[in-house]
Amino acid sequence: MKILWAHVKADLLSLQRRPMSVFPGLIAPGLLFLFIGVPNARDQTAANWFMTAMTVFAVLGITFFQFGVAIAAARSSPWELTLRTLPLAPGVRFAARVLVALVVALATVGVMVSLALLLTPAGLAFAGWLRWGVALLLGSMPLALLGIAMGYWAPPTAAAPVANLLYLVLAYAGGLWTPPSQLPHLVAQISPYLPTRRYAEVVWAPMRGQAWPVEDWLWLLGYTAAFGVLAIWGYQRDEGERFR
Amino acid sequence: MHTEQSDQKPRPEPAADVLAQLRGVYKRFGQIEALRGVDLAIHQGEVVALLGPNGAGKTTTISILLGVRRPDRGEARLFGHPPHLPQSRRNVGATPQDTGFPGALTVSEVVELVRTHYPQPLPTAAVLERFGLLDLGHRQTGGLSGGQKRRMAVALAFTGNPRAVFLDEPTTGLDVEARHGLWAVIRGYVHDGGTVLLTTHNMDEAEALASRVVVLDHGQILTEGSVDAIRARVQLTRVRFQAEGLPQLPGIVQIEQENRLYTLYTTDADALVRDLVREGVAFAGLEVRPVTLEEAFLNLTRGVV
Repeated sequence: MKILWAHVKADLLSLQRRPMSVFPGLIAPGLLFLFIGVPNARDQTAANWFMTAMTVFAVLGITFFQFGVAIAAARSSPWELTLRTLPLAPGVRFAARVLVALVVALATVGVMVSLALLLTPAGLAFAGWLRWGVALLLGSMPLALLGIAMGYWAPPTAAAPVANLLYLVLAYAGGLWTPPSQLPHLVAQISPYLPTRRYAEVVWAPMRGQAWPVEDWLWLLGYTAAFGVLAIWGYQRDEGERFR
Repeated sequence: MHTEQSDQKPRPEPAADVLAQLRGVYKRFGQIEALRGVDLAIHQGEVVALLGPNGAGKTTTISILLGVRRPDRGEARLFGHPPHLPQSRRNVGATPQDTGFPGALTVSEVVELVRTHYPQPLPTAAVLERFGLLDLGHRQTGGLSGGQKRRMAVALAFTGNPRAVFLDEPTTGLDVEARHGLWAVIRGYVHDGGTVLLTTHNMDEAEALASRVVVLDHGQILTEGSVDAIRARVQLTRVRFQAEGLPQLPGIVQIEQENRLYTLYTTDADALVRDLVREGVAFAGLEVRPVTLEEAFLNLTRGVV
């Protein structure tokens, strides 16, 4: 416990002193929201839609960059190698990574929601916010695991390009930039099979005041299992960068 | 390939005396066989220097002893336990070959973070003072020079007040003064009962510190023993002189020539000098001395002896 806290503290201190490293995940969704969301958010329904879609997009970025790219980079980093020589259980280091990502996610979601409330007529009832937050957190699980899997499977140099590509494709085809009904025909065919689309659906439901969509949750559960296996497999075969 | 114990003073080997051990360890990375059947035991109070050319398997040996990598075949033990279990590493500190710290954290903060992992670490101030980092405690590690970073990397190995330290090329990139300072720290640590395993390319370092030298080549242990024993193993003498030319002579293992300067390695220096006189070679500045560890090492790894 003492060790976990020390790692969380050290990582947060690093982030606080180099805040630029958190921004990339915030820039794309933030700018999209300002340039497309704000002018188009004519009523509360539209505003809520943009706020939710861009927040899901931002969380997607965190799962890919805080986990995927960061883990891939750590596998070749001398400092992480030094940590492996300490009496430190890999699970503790990993838990610290998750907690730090949660803090970053909380800050990012806070920024997105604040922008929405300040600049648009977005708003939810208290119970709606609660369910919205729960869906945002739980629905991110499969994507976090996909990010982790990517971090362990991609070679350190390939991780950032792969993450960027998947990030944009999954966001667009998942219907986070334009409502799914306005996607081109071919993309609309694929969209329902993507984890980002299912994720967005479970967050949109409380936004619209609808019941939990069971089918979407089941899809997310399936993705969680699949990406979980990939992540654990990737972790077990990892011994850091493989040479010498 | 076999392993010989050729230390001058034969040492009883109760198991309790062995802090870290590899038994028949093989490790392959893709096409490269990094280790091919390595047996190695590190005893309490020893300073073992692991020598070998680049790619000989030194770093792999240390990573397997630390549990960072697992052997394909064979067995590794650290204080009697499998080294990949975190608790096995409570009594060992390490300096990896590559240096890097979280750049935004200060020297003290990194030392504090490392201290957290050990049951009875040294006080932060003591660590900084011993490695000459006292003035740098508040500096962010990203702003340190290469030499300062290296000293800090070595300092972290000692931070947990461990019974043994594994140092992978600890003094690479240090100037002579810093290197000698570090040697003094290591000697003090051993004097207080510590045990050291280090790799180095610097033979002076091995001669200055090591109670035992292990020569690795192509993933196998070529030979091991004290510095003197390794030199004796090679049984070569270096004979150097200046001359205009050199006839064919028996008993010469190797000849190096640089203009008029000849350097010969021979198993029988007396016979060689007699031959030189008999052949009427007009030599000048004759110099005869046993080979250094470096010369012995080069001859060993080139397969000359």
